[in-house]
Amino acid sequence: MVTYGERMTPDDETQEAVFRALADSSRRRLLDLLHARGGQSLTELEEEFAMTRFGVMKHLRVLSDAGLVVTRKQGRKTLHFLNPVPIRLVHDRWIDKYTEPQVATLAGLVPLLEGASPEEG
Amino acid sequence: MSTTDHDLATEQVYQIVIRTTPERLWEAITSPAFTTQYFHGARIDVTPERYTSRGPDGQSWGDDAVYEFDPPHRLVHGWRSLYDPDLADEPESRVTWQIEPRDGGLCLLTVTHDRLEGSPRTARGVSGEGWTTVLSGLKTLLETGSPMLPADG
Repeated sequence: MVTYGERMTPDDETQEAVFRALADSSRRRLLDLLHARGGQSLTELEEEFAMTRFGVMKHLRVLSDAGLVVTRKQGRKTLHFLNPVPIRLVHDRWIDKYTEPQVATLAGLVPLLEGASPEEG
Repeated sequence: MSTTDHDLATEQVYQIVIRTTPERLWEAITSPAFTTQYFHGARIDVTPERYTSRGPDGQSWGDDAVYEFDPPHRLVHGWRSLYDPDLADEPESRVTWQIEPRDGGLCLLTVTHDRLEGSPRTARGVSGEGWTTVLSGLKTLLETGSPMLPADG
């Protein structure tokens, strides 16, 4: 296990939970199902899996603890919705940071290369 | 599953934890001095009666009824996408802001955009990147005191 020193901020903890939640193909499939259609009940989601109702419930709880799934009661049913915000925050923190400077560097090369070409025309 | 696209977005839920007080979060949602810094530059003004949004040149981006006004807990207002001529004709949908204080000086903000059944283009327009951009910008603004800049390292 990697440790990050004395204490993690709430945001660090949330992102840790998001990465853990995403590191499972059944949970990623649940997110895809909720992205395709929000507001599904456990019974509806369960039909898409070979595993037990309890297994699906456990995966939903992990997603919910990570903030990736939000639930709402409607009568006796609990409806599940995908919350895309934590993925956006992971994207802002972990994807943008590593992709943008490289894109900028490559983009910066274009005028340099174009200007340096003596044989143009 | 032929109705997937329609079902996709008739009720959208977004949730974010922000290190701030409910009062400050309420102010950030309802006053133009804040909204211009994270809501696509919109000057949003909310009174107990009316939700108005204006673009940088004063054009109307939104002008809808306020249904619930309970600072600093809950705000419910209508939504028409007047900022885009292709979406402006669609019927009004509804946006609910719910603020819940959490331990450690945090607030849980839940934004629900629903009643989108008759407004599929608006539903598509605000989904995914739409609301997540606004909410991650709001978090950055309140936690760092400065708006999120695209090229900011």
